[in-house]
Amino acid sequence: MDILDVVKKDYVTRLLAEGKREDGRKNDEYRSISVEKGVLQSAEGSALAIVGKTQVLAAVKFGVGTPYPDKPTEGVLSTNSEWPPLASPKFETGPPREGSIEFARVVDRGIRSSETLDFKSFYINEEKVWMLYLDLYVLDHDGNLIDAGALAGMAALMNAKMPRYEDEKVISDESNRQLPLKNTVVACTVAKVGKHFLLDPTLAEEAAMEGRVTIATTPEHICAGQKSGPVAVTKDELLEIADLSFKKGRELRSLLEQ
Amino acid sequence: MTEKEKPELFVHGKRLDGRTVEDLRPLKIQAGVLNSADGSAFVQWGNNKVLAGVYGPRECIPKHDSDPYKAVLKCRYNMAPFCSSGEHSRSGPSRRSTELSKVIREVFEGLILTDKYPKTMIEIYIEVLQSDGGTRCAAVTAAAVALADAGIPMRDMVAAVASGKIQEHIVADLGKDEDNYGQSDFPVAVSWRDKEILLFQMDGLLTRQQFEHALNLSISTVEKVKVLQKEALLRSFEEKNGSPRVNLNL
Amino acid sequence: MNKIILPGEKVSDKPEQMPGTYIHDGKTYADVISLYDEEGKKSVPLEGMYLPRAEDYIVGVVCDVRFAGYNINIAPSFNAFLSGRESRDKFELGDVVFAKIAEVDEVNSVALTDARRLTGGKMIEVSPVKIPRVIGKKNSMVNMIIDSTKSEVYIGRNGRIWMSGGDIELTVRAIQKVEQEAHVSGLTDRVKKFLEDEAESE
Repeated sequence: MDILDVVKKDYVTRLLAEGKREDGRKNDEYRSISVEKGVLQSAEGSALAIVGKTQVLAAVKFGVGTPYPDKPTEGVLSTNSEWPPLASPKFETGPPREGSIEFARVVDRGIRSSETLDFKSFYINEEKVWMLYLDLYVLDHDGNLIDAGALAGMAALMNAKMPRYEDEKVISDESNRQLPLKNTVVACTVAKVGKHFLLDPTLAEEAAMEGRVTIATTPEHICAGQKSGPVAVTKDELLEIADLSFKKGRELRSLLEQ
Repeated sequence: MTEKEKPELFVHGKRLDGRTVEDLRPLKIQAGVLNSADGSAFVQWGNNKVLAGVYGPRECIPKHDSDPYKAVLKCRYNMAPFCSSGEHSRSGPSRRSTELSKVIREVFEGLILTDKYPKTMIEIYIEVLQSDGGTRCAAVTAAAVALADAGIPMRDMVAAVASGKIQEHIVADLGKDEDNYGQSDFPVAVSWRDKEILLFQMDGLLTRQQFEHALNLSISTVEKVKVLQKEALLRSFEEKNGSPRVNLNL
Repeated sequence: MNKIILPGEKVSDKPEQMPGTYIHDGKTYADVISLYDEEGKKSVPLEGMYLPRAEDYIVGVVCDVRFAGYNINIAPSFNAFLSGRESRDKFELGDVVFAKIAEVDEVNSVALTDARRLTGGKMIEVSPVKIPRVIGKKNSMVNMIIDSTKSEVYIGRNGRIWMSGGDIELTVRAIQKVEQEAHVSGLTDRVKKFLEDEAESE
């Protein structure tokens, strides 16, 4: 553990005892959020989500591959994340570590189980289906990567155009249609520091937290959840976080649908 | 990949995108775009989008890499799996990116005053978010601005550009198609003040005369890149006036 | 007139010792982005990491407690050593300390002395090259801030500033203003006005 984290933790904890957060936010308040779609031309869909000082870039690319034997008529979603070392003094080069894998898997789970993608529509022929690669690229890390990653990922999907497959060739051009989506998935993360539950934790608050809970929602359903870190939460707390996720989810969704 | 017919690269004195032999593609440089890195820069050059972040000097890890007399420089040039309009690629280093990381690092080993910070390391991280030919020159250009933004001591600054040959014409700043279908690619990095060549690679066939012509064209074209690098750094200090960091503008 | 100069730009035709410069062929050049005063022929770095010097006061964090003394982090991943004999107090892991640099050897090993513990406040980090502006001439800048906010402030040359008591939030904002506008002239007057405006809006 970085020794400065000890100092940050100490400060965050003392401030919370006075009922304050380091940036003056309420406990159930997000930092300022912006989502920009279509930031890359090389990918079929892309978006940059900025939450406070956290920046995550998402890109959607399509490829053609063979279906899984157990789902011969369905396409494949492959979500990967990169935590390149320029995004944080603590990120290192080399294979992805557990934090990066968890991050990609939680975002993936939200999208997958929301059924927003119709994998049957990814069918091309008996041997071929569309593969959708969703890359989540962290550019600047100031806490709460999951919510920013989920926003960037969803926005990139909303921005994506499906290529066509003609004469054994993938064709990406202006006449491609929008990737059909059934709903909009967003994720809300709450960190627990002492007795306090903090929505959208900063890096300093993450240094102080015992753990966090992420809940991804569609307008009607909870579609993914993850508790992370050694924290214990009660049933009532978990239900409160779920209620908060629905409430905040509406705000995030309206940002995405602009 | 689909087989494309080789396009006419040079017609009536104009190139595919309408440029003359010495024109640069549109080039935009921003300094100080990241909060976590000690210094950063974002370069949009044609359709290239290249982000550079610098850390250091900080304690050298692993310790056995450290040098008691000077700072150790580390550099990683990396292409994002979605950076080309072709297929999605695997992440992680390729043989190409390993070589480029080395030659880019060596550009800065010649410029950074490493003896000011013994036992430390300085890291340069370059992410190619979108590639459009000439990424290594965009990378060197971005890294130089990021290092200046971080306050890493350097004896001089550097800018880079790739010249080349298309249909027997020597042209500045090769675009992607010109690189793919042209006859020679000639990337060069040149220091601002003393005009030293700090990166030199080339492929293809050039006569002795064409070689000299391409080299001269690169050295003169680098001046245009230098002006934009300088503007970006000065602007970031004006913009910082009041707001902590400039947001990334992809 | 002040202007911003970049690494490699000439500062003087003579060899001169100035922060953020190097000498080559008998001339002096900037090695970091700097503010150059054309009349005074002086150059002040605008960015840069901390280079430890003897007699500097620093704010550090105890990162290792050993038999012979303490390892104290003074910059990102850079540690100094405080001998147990050099300190009356006992420190614990994570303690924030204010200390003086006793010695820096040729390979950048740093020995500390005069250490004291700082408790109950907030630590912020600013670019170390901006510290002289935060302090001001004869402490004028920091005294002006303290007079207005009533905070207790310890300034480390390594870019870390510790504060406690009073209006910490205003102290942070005032210091950040100094950091961001350090290269623009009339800084003292602007910070003064900023503090007065804030006092009125209370």
